[in-house]
Amino acid sequence: MGLQRARGALARLISVSIICMGFAQAAPAGMIGTAYLLDEESRATSLSRIEVVLAREDVGRQLEALGVDKAMVMERLDGLSNAELLELEGQLDSQVAGGDILALIGAVFVVLLILELVGVINIFKSV
Amino acid sequence: MLGAGGVYQWSRLLPALFVGLAGCVSIPPSVSELPEAGGSIELASTPFYPQERYQCGPAALTTVLAQSGAEVLLEDIVDKVYLPGRQGSLQFELMAAARTEGRLPYRVDGTLEAIWKELEAGRPVLVLQNLGVAAIPSWHYAVVVGIDAERGEIILRSGTQKRRVTRTRTYLHTWRRGGYWGMVVLEPGELPATIDRARYFESIAALEEIGRAEEATAAWQTASGKWPGDPVALFGLANAYLAQQEYVSAERVYRDLLGREPTMIAARNNLALTLAEQGKYDAAMEEIGRALSDNRVPALEQELRDTEATIRRRQAAAE
Repeated sequence: MGLQRARGALARLISVSIICMGFAQAAPAGMIGTAYLLDEESRATSLSRIEVVLAREDVGRQLEALGVDKAMVMERLDGLSNAELLELEGQLDSQVAGGDILALIGAVFVVLLILELVGVINIFKSV
Repeated sequence: MLGAGGVYQWSRLLPALFVGLAGCVSIPPSVSELPEAGGSIELASTPFYPQERYQCGPAALTTVLAQSGAEVLLEDIVDKVYLPGRQGSLQFELMAAARTEGRLPYRVDGTLEAIWKELEAGRPVLVLQNLGVAAIPSWHYAVVVGIDAERGEIILRSGTQKRRVTRTRTYLHTWRRGGYWGMVVLEPGELPATIDRARYFESIAALEEIGRAEEATAAWQTASGKWPGDPVALFGLANAYLAQQEYVSAERVYRDLLGREPTMIAARNNLALTLAEQGKYDAAMEEIGRALSDNRVPALEQELRDTEATIRRRQAAAE
């Protein structure tokens, strides 16, 4: 009997702490966020919490597939706004990824090669 | 007389002809004009983080964060924004990482004047350039730290170069191909030098959404000072107080707002929640009842019903 009661108390404690974890950072449940007032588009989406949850899962999967460490995925998702999550959903591959100044050398080489082949320039043969 | 006039005409036409021959889209004057002709400005003390391969995004972001006084390490920012599978970083993720560092990322207007004004305010501007061409893009993030209008030069922290000097015209073409995208990181409560109200408000609302209520409060306080009586700024401020469990302040601002905008259903819903949090269940039920009867937006109906049920449940539990 005593054990069962202790178990019940423990279960309650765990469930309370899980709920608290969920709300530790966020606004109280039921609060309509400021984004709702901002524009027509976000007005439609800012209330659809399920869509945001699904978008978050999808973006998380994409980040992991693109090589982000599993432990970092959550932290990275935490910085994205709802509108950003919805925009990134299924679209991560088509986003611009600013990367490398060194890639330019490759690009220039290709351009020079094409120009060389069509006879506009004559760098490669002149050596 | 006539001949001289003709030469004059041609000399004016020639540069235009060359630009046309170059086959590039010309840069509109609204983008390239500067507030002061011939002036120059440079934030020489901006720190420099030379990039590793493919990691110009983390390097550029660390630069602007450090300049804004945030204590950041390049390797931590790499973990937050570098995307190995794309060998680069996304614009959204740069903004997200700035938020998790307690800063307010703000996308600046795509003009040199906007960059100039941010520099004057002591803020370097993180920009996206396309150093290649449209068909063979080479996306690159760099930080504009100076403009020399006299010499026609832009000074950047870029890649492995601490002080890269680019001709303004060249810079403008690479920036045009990057969609004239640029951002600054503000301390919450700081206003950008050139403000687009809607975009600024969206940036703050994003802070609220990711649970940065303290930073959002500071930003909305400044916003409601800048635009006194603005309904969105007041709503944002009240929401930020509510999220921080500062119920008395939240109630005061919601009531102020509803005095101005009695039909703002979203504010009345949140006021009802604020009252319930303080144990004022009867007043909360009154407000949510009024919101329900005033509401004309079908999408809000369910939200209001949920709030009503929440208040009822809490009242029953309290009794």
